[in-house]
Amino acid sequence: MASEPPQGGVLPLGAAIETRQLTKTYKSRALGKINVVDHLDLQVEEGEIFGFLGPNGAGKTTTIKMLLGIIYPSAGEGYVLGREIGDMDVHRVISYLPERPYYYEHMTGMEILKFYGALFGINDKDKFQRLLEKVNLAGDATKTISQYSKGMQQRIGLAQSLLNDPKLLFLDEPTGGLDPIAHTEIRDLILQFRDEGRTVFISSHELSEVERICDRVAIINKGKIERQGRLEDLLRGGRIEVIADGLNQGFADTVRAPESTVSFHNGRLIVDMSEEGDVNGLLDGIRDAKGQIISVVPRRRRLEDLFIETISEKKSGGEAA
Amino acid sequence: MGAILSISTTTVGEAIRRRVLLVILMIGVLLISIVPALSVLSARSDLTTTISSMLFVLRIVSVLIAIVLTVYMIPNEIERRTIYTILSKPVQRWQFLVGKYLGAVLALGLMIGLMAGVMLILFYFFKHPPMERMLDLLRQAILYFIEVSLLAAVAIFFSTFVTPLVNFFLSAGVWGVGSLLNPLYDSFANNQGSAPIIRGMAKFVTSILPNFSNYDVKNPIINPGVTIQNETTYYLGTAGYGLLYITILIIAGILIFDRREV
Ligand SMILES: Nc1ncnc2c1ncn2[C@@H]1O[C@H](COP(=O)(O)OP(=O)(O)O)[C@@H](O)[C@H]1O
Ligand SMILES: [Mg+2]
Repeated sequence: MASEPPQGGVLPLGAAIETRQLTKTYKSRALGKINVVDHLDLQVEEGEIFGFLGPNGAGKTTTIKMLLGIIYPSAGEGYVLGREIGDMDVHRVISYLPERPYYYEHMTGMEILKFYGALFGINDKDKFQRLLEKVNLAGDATKTISQYSKGMQQRIGLAQSLLNDPKLLFLDEPTGGLDPIAHTEIRDLILQFRDEGRTVFISSHELSEVERICDRVAIINKGKIERQGRLEDLLRGGRIEVIADGLNQGFADTVRAPESTVSFHNGRLIVDMSEEGDVNGLLDGIRDAKGQIISVVPRRRRLEDLFIETISEKKSGGEAA
Repeated sequence: MGAILSISTTTVGEAIRRRVLLVILMIGVLLISIVPALSVLSARSDLTTTISSMLFVLRIVSVLIAIVLTVYMIPNEIERRTIYTILSKPVQRWQFLVGKYLGAVLALGLMIGLMAGVMLILFYFFKHPPMERMLDLLRQAILYFIEVSLLAAVAIFFSTFVTPLVNFFLSAGVWGVGSLLNPLYDSFANNQGSAPIIRGMAKFVTSILPNFSNYDVKNPIINPGVTIQNETTYYLGTAGYGLLYITILIIAGILIFDRREV
């Protein structure tokens, strides 16, 4: 944190996005000044899918808009691909899919790509065609947006967001309001973007969809980052339940693992232990004692749990303070 | 330049599909067609009444279209978040605003062109007027086009900081007062009989507000005695005045819009 601000707008290699104490304050009549985004320190590496997660009103969209120079920070600083936010040159190599986007309804899918392409000075019909194929809309290129379903509109949005071959994509709630099939389609496309070497910054309040594809996440609540890190690290601390049969009390008494509960009844052993404990050792022991393993069920923490934990901790913490 | 051009053509595409505008336009075309047709039936009406009535309709409808078209233009882009996609591309805010404004002007040109075309054809068909009268109508239609282009700049300027509804009344008000500027000037600012303070205020108001009455010279009823000494100079002068005023308004709008959160 004590590092010098980047000179000449160049960041150390690797950071696609970096914010330092980025803050946005709004005044409201009822509540006075509120930090909608509150001293945010974000670090997004190049080439990863980064999940920016939080409940509605957490400040996700506000953060993205600041990173894009659409609104201006009240304090703090932010860098996108090594350039200070607001730098127009960066806009050539990033793209943005707003929350619940709208496209001019009278235009066809192809015309949408032509229009947004023109904003980059791109007029390459083959490219437009390839993009339509990529998002599976080649057959609907001449239909107007008003004839598109929500999922199709989101896909044309993704197609336009690829026009400039971006290094970094901002997707604000990309699966919001879509049905499960459309969800899956969008998710597959996002995974494809990463495989193509792009950095993807996704904001979402729908966790189950995101947790399967994000490399790293930050959880934001009331404008503050609560947790940030690799998904595996954040989700560590899951539990495993081992059930075995044909064992005697003597064996059950030898089972000892930290933070575990052991129950034994009529030859059936049930051990609920931490994921970090010596699960293999226990299984070997059961086999040596001629026991029969019935099930080994990992009960991993899900992002959903972490999310709810984080936010409710915050609530009770807030009351205590 | 490419960005501005494609923003303005897209704006035209949207404008000519907006139902409110199409309804107003259709009413305008209808009224303009009724006037010369009716004048054939009533023996008393002369060319002057016909011309005057047609121009009156053309002007009011054009002004209404200009205001309705422009007051919603920027707010709609923000509400539908289309502006965010555009501004996340390498497009500066001034380019966006200029593109929107040029789109409005193009759309107004199309709509006024349509009404004026209908007006000229029917006028010729029903009244067999002398060529000079036809040209007068055409010139007046062009002046109206400049007038509403200026009005559109007024409304775009206001739309960078007020809501559409407030803007509607503000712009209509500015146009209303601006169309009375010449008579106002004559009765207050230029009247040696009125108090100096009134004269001063009238001079200030008449010089700061856009003068829309300059664009209504050819209406033979509103301006019966007006004869223009040098037509070319007059048209170039009013066009130049409009262009200068538009430039100032758009630059002021850009300065506000640049600082604004969208
Ligand atoms: N222009 C604004 N003026 C005042 N408050 C705002 C403004 N924009 C957003 N907010 C408030 O900021 C908070 C965060 O909003 P947002 O960033 O849209 O949340 P999220 O995208 O995480 O759902 C919300 O409480 C919202 O009401
Ligand atoms: Mg949001």
